[in-house]
Amino acid sequence: MTLLTRQGRAEVIESDICIIGSGITAAVVAEKLAEEREARIVVVEAGDDTVPLAERAAHRARFVAYGESPWGRDHIDGMTADGIQSRSMQVGGLAMHWGGVTPRFSPEDFRVKSLFGVGHDWPVTYEELDPFYHEAERRIGVAGEQGPPELDPRSSPFPMPSLPLTYNLDLLKRWTDSAGIAMWSQPSAKNSVAYGGRAVCCRNDTCAPVCPVGAKYSPDFTWNALRASGRVELVPRTLVRRLVVEHGSNRITRAEAVRRDRGDAAGSRVHFRARTFVVAAGYAWSPHLLLLSRSERFPRGIANRSGMVGKYMTGHRNVFAFVKLPLRLYPGMNEQHSLVTKQFMRATKLDRYVRHDLRVWESSVGRRPRLKGDDGAVLLGDELMADWRRRSTEGTARVRAYYDVIPDRESALTLNEPAKNAYGDPQPKLTFRDSPESLALRAHTEDSIKALFQRMARAGNGEILRSGVDDFQDHPAGGCRMGDDPASSVVNSHGRAHDHENLFVVGAPTSVSGGCANATLTFLAVALRQATEIGKEFKLIGNRE
Amino acid sequence: MTPAAATQSGRQPNATLLDALGDTVLPAELGADGVARAVAEFQRWMDGYQPGAEANHGYGTGRIEHLPADPRRHWRSQLAALEADARRNGPSFSALPRERRQALVRAALRNERGDALPNPLLARHVALALLAHFYDSSAATDLCYDAQIGRQQCRPLSAQRQQPVTLGRKGR
Repeated sequence: MTLLTRQGRAEVIESDICIIGSGITAAVVAEKLAEEREARIVVVEAGDDTVPLAERAAHRARFVAYGESPWGRDHIDGMTADGIQSRSMQVGGLAMHWGGVTPRFSPEDFRVKSLFGVGHDWPVTYEELDPFYHEAERRIGVAGEQGPPELDPRSSPFPMPSLPLTYNLDLLKRWTDSAGIAMWSQPSAKNSVAYGGRAVCCRNDTCAPVCPVGAKYSPDFTWNALRASGRVELVPRTLVRRLVVEHGSNRITRAEAVRRDRGDAAGSRVHFRARTFVVAAGYAWSPHLLLLSRSERFPRGIANRSGMVGKYMTGHRNVFAFVKLPLRLYPGMNEQHSLVTKQFMRATKLDRYVRHDLRVWESSVGRRPRLKGDDGAVLLGDELMADWRRRSTEGTARVRAYYDVIPDRESALTLNEPAKNAYGDPQPKLTFRDSPESLALRAHTEDSIKALFQRMARAGNGEILRSGVDDFQDHPAGGCRMGDDPASSVVNSHGRAHDHENLFVVGAPTSVSGGCANATLTFLAVALRQATEIGKEFKLIGNRE
Repeated sequence: MTPAAATQSGRQPNATLLDALGDTVLPAELGADGVARAVAEFQRWMDGYQPGAEANHGYGTGRIEHLPADPRRHWRSQLAALEADARRNGPSFSALPRERRQALVRAALRNERGDALPNPLLARHVALALLAHFYDSSAATDLCYDAQIGRQQCRPLSAQRQQPVTLGRKGR
């Protein structure tokens, strides 16, 4: 158990490993360390405990009926970032809201500089990550289909059979086949069979924001098991405000925090002391904490000798279209499941750089009931239903491609000094920016993808109903990027800070680039590799070492 | 607040008028029982609404928003206005032939912009709210497609491979 004492007025909690944050990355890292190493592990989470599984069906019903948030107190007033993508500060973090989509990056994503002369290579290869991808798939439970091996390399099978294609997706797959595109079932952290003590997916189709039966993985399941076993102590409602470096060395000596639910309005002070500190607070709050930890000795924050903390924030942008097709589809069979291909991620020789994923879903766009007919007259009674039936004889496919945005150095998270939280700490400001080479490629990339959509539509005797580009960068990452050179990175490929031997940053913030596919599984694979390094400082359980 | 208390406080739309509105705007193919069921579900939905509850804040935004004020007072006045319009040329809204009732509703909706059915909570007219609520239901989708799709219902995963079976006459 952890040792509790009081030093001066601050409570002190001691452990071997202190993990800051309780999102999906923290969950798999804590689970791995607890399984493998003799170490006292404390996890500190700023937010509250999340809504228990038993209450989620009722919360989901109100979400479906009224659009209510199914997550209750999943954020802290005054704790937000200008430019943040989403708010979920609770036990389980943002992955309490996620859609559970878990493709791997392709090998090329880690070597874009070497292969294509753009962006930056990662200090780790796909081949090195492959076993950790598999470990991540096993830990969270991924249902997947092996794609064609030349497109979808992997050394071991998925832990669960894939989610079956719906009748709609089967028709859409025939369409993409006719366009010369090989697609398969999107790997997902959703149970196609009972797995991890959790239920099989039953197509409630509200994976994001909430699965009412627990078929979709969320980190609370891991935390529940770890807390029940006593192998990890999770301290919720406790906000870490800064990390403090030991006098006379570069080691982190404590994390200073405030218990929000104790003491007066200012909370009560608590210090976490540990041999090793692991910052696992996601792309926004990890670099934020390092910047907040500034002092006279470290005026730019800690781990920031290079000035790289908060820099190279990254992600991917999407181009989408809705394609009308002469197919009788049935919208609502399972709108959150999709087809995927890596065909356009795996190009090796390109006249001009463009790489992207491609996904296809059923859609109800253009097939929804409407109030007015083509002549503008209001439709009521049987007329409205008849109009809807006429327009439902054909189907719509939603197609979307994520392409990688090469981040600029000044694509950055900074401290927004005027915007302070209740404890007087400045909040983060996020400004995503394409590098000049990415800007120069943008029109070419988006035009290429739109041309692909047109070609697909023609192959199916269909037409594009509408298309567009979402300007934000999805699956944001970076801010503490990894690298071999301490002058241009914050941590090494194992997540260890170049400047502080006992400080690790794990997962999304250490990403070098956003790739061109949903990135959570890659964050987890990277984090599990980093956890392997963290664990080396502690004895293997059972003295297996 | 319970439905009875809401009625007493004058917030609840008049049930007779609401039934007549259902018969006016919903598909006749539902039959009298089906229309009554759809109106009752709308009524239950209204009764369960909690104004000001925190809205879902999905991926892509950091903004926290809250659900709008209770729309029932507005909707009650709109039903009363339909009744007043009906009484200018006849006994009451409920007693008018369906075509005449539809004409009154069309007139009330003539200034609606666009053709999309709104989120029922944001509907500017009770007729539109009732329509939007019904057409957003899984049952309405099944009726349109004459198929047991069961949108957003808990359904066996393995069954998604097959084409949904038709409703048949009983399903309607």
